Amino acid sequence: MSGQGMELKLQIWRQANAEDKGRFHIYHLSDVSPHMSFLEMLDVLNEQLITLGEEPVAFDHDCREGICGMCSLMINGQAHGPDKETTTCQLHMRRFSDGDTIVIEPWRAKAFPVIRDLVVDRGSFDRIMSKGGFVSVNTGNPADANTILVPKQDADRAMDAAACIGCGACVAACKNASALLFVSAKVSQLSLLPQGKPEKAQRVLNMVAQMDEEGFGSCTNTSECEAACPAGISVSNIARLNRDYMCAMLCSEEGM
Amino acid sequence: MKWLLNALSSSVGKKFLMAITGLLLCGFLVAHLAGNLLLPAGGDLFNDYAKKLHENEGLLMVAETGLFGIFILHLYLAFSLTWGNNAARGKGYAATKSKRDDTMSKTRPDKWMIGSGIILLLYLCLHLFDFKFHRFGMDQELTALAGDSEAVTTKVAIHVLKSPLTMIGYAAGFVFLFAHLSHGVSSAFQSLGLSHPKYNSLIKYGGLAFASLISLGFFVVLFWAISQ
Repeated sequence: MSGQGMELKLQIWRQANAEDKGRFHIYHLSDVSPHMSFLEMLDVLNEQLITLGEEPVAFDHDCREGICGMCSLMINGQAHGPDKETTTCQLHMRRFSDGDTIVIEPWRAKAFPVIRDLVVDRGSFDRIMSKGGFVSVNTGNPADANTILVPKQDADRAMDAAACIGCGACVAACKNASALLFVSAKVSQLSLLPQGKPEKAQRVLNMVAQMDEEGFGSCTNTSECEAACPAGISVSNIARLNRDYMCAMLCSEEGM
Repeated sequence: MKWLLNALSSSVGKKFLMAITGLLLCGFLVAHLAGNLLLPAGGDLFNDYAKKLHENEGLLMVAETGLFGIFILHLYLAFSLTWGNNAARGKGYAATKSKRDDTMSKTRPDKWMIGSGIILLLYLCLHLFDFKFHRFGMDQELTALAGDSEAVTTKVAIHVLKSPLTMIGYAAGFVFLFAHLSHGVSSAFQSLGLSHPKYNSLIKYGGLAFASLISLGFFVVLFWAISQ
């Protein structure tokens, strides 16, 4: 691809550690292949930085096929870049033009502190999950598949909610840094199924309480999270969480 | 009842209360507009309505206190939630761009509900000074017209609405009322968990229609008064 690549100006957030104030650095990258993924483009930049004896840019990544939820990045003000239902690792450089300036920032939220450069600590999501994002009732040996009948629509809705990869794009894109889309997906994937129903009330109350404790904002129904979500999680899950929360508060014995 | 307080002071609980108080205030708007539309309806209809309204001052005071309470709660929640939301972001982005497909994405009212709310609060102060406190007696003609009566008469309404400050202030107030309601009504349904594929379009466009009708209705009253 030599000679056919793009010239890019990268404006990247650099921050040595959590205590560092951080600042933008400008890097010029030439001969960028349009067939590269966004993360491969950063790999190329890092190779050049290492050759020059500079610190490479730290960024989160793992599977590079859009299922692990590790990659993040606010690209030109959009979580995971300009494409819908696409993670940063699935974004390709053909979406950019020769001579473009690309602003790359970490997720910004008090509950997602920057660890280094573009890497943020998303441990707050794990702590929310630990408060009820599971089914703890002992189900014994695997039962016959038809023992518990699940309506197809419920199974589909639960599956759609379970598509959440926990990347945090919803928090990053929300003007309030609210995690309600994430929490609502994790609540819905279980509360829609018979196996998740026994702990439904306790789950929603505990997970919302932990979400608030982590310092996430509240949902003002702008639906930016839905638009930014690489897994296509719908805000109808938020309405379900609101419903479940009120039912748990008013009609269950939980929280007394 | 600590459990209730705990639940209602969570972010989801606050939004629930925000929705309830917002919808109750919408109910007040409907009643208020219905009464005001008696002005352009003509005759003594408005005067009779105002007189009747003030016949039972005790009941009116209870209703006004209730309304004030709902309003203060709505206001408190708005500031409390905004405070928390700003703190939750911390350091902001150098660049932000919406991924929503809406054509109005840059000017969407849902992005500045606190802004439209604060402007409405200022409008409300002007409105109360005009009709409830008769501009603190600054306008002598108005004070003479209003006399000792607590009830606003057609003459008082026309006199107030024809003043230039009021005309501009009220027109701006109605525009921002539209902006606030155009997101607020449908958002309240979502916060209450009332979402269903069969009704979501109705909630979205119904909210927009409600905002338009309320704002338009108040404009009708204003233009009628100016034309008198």
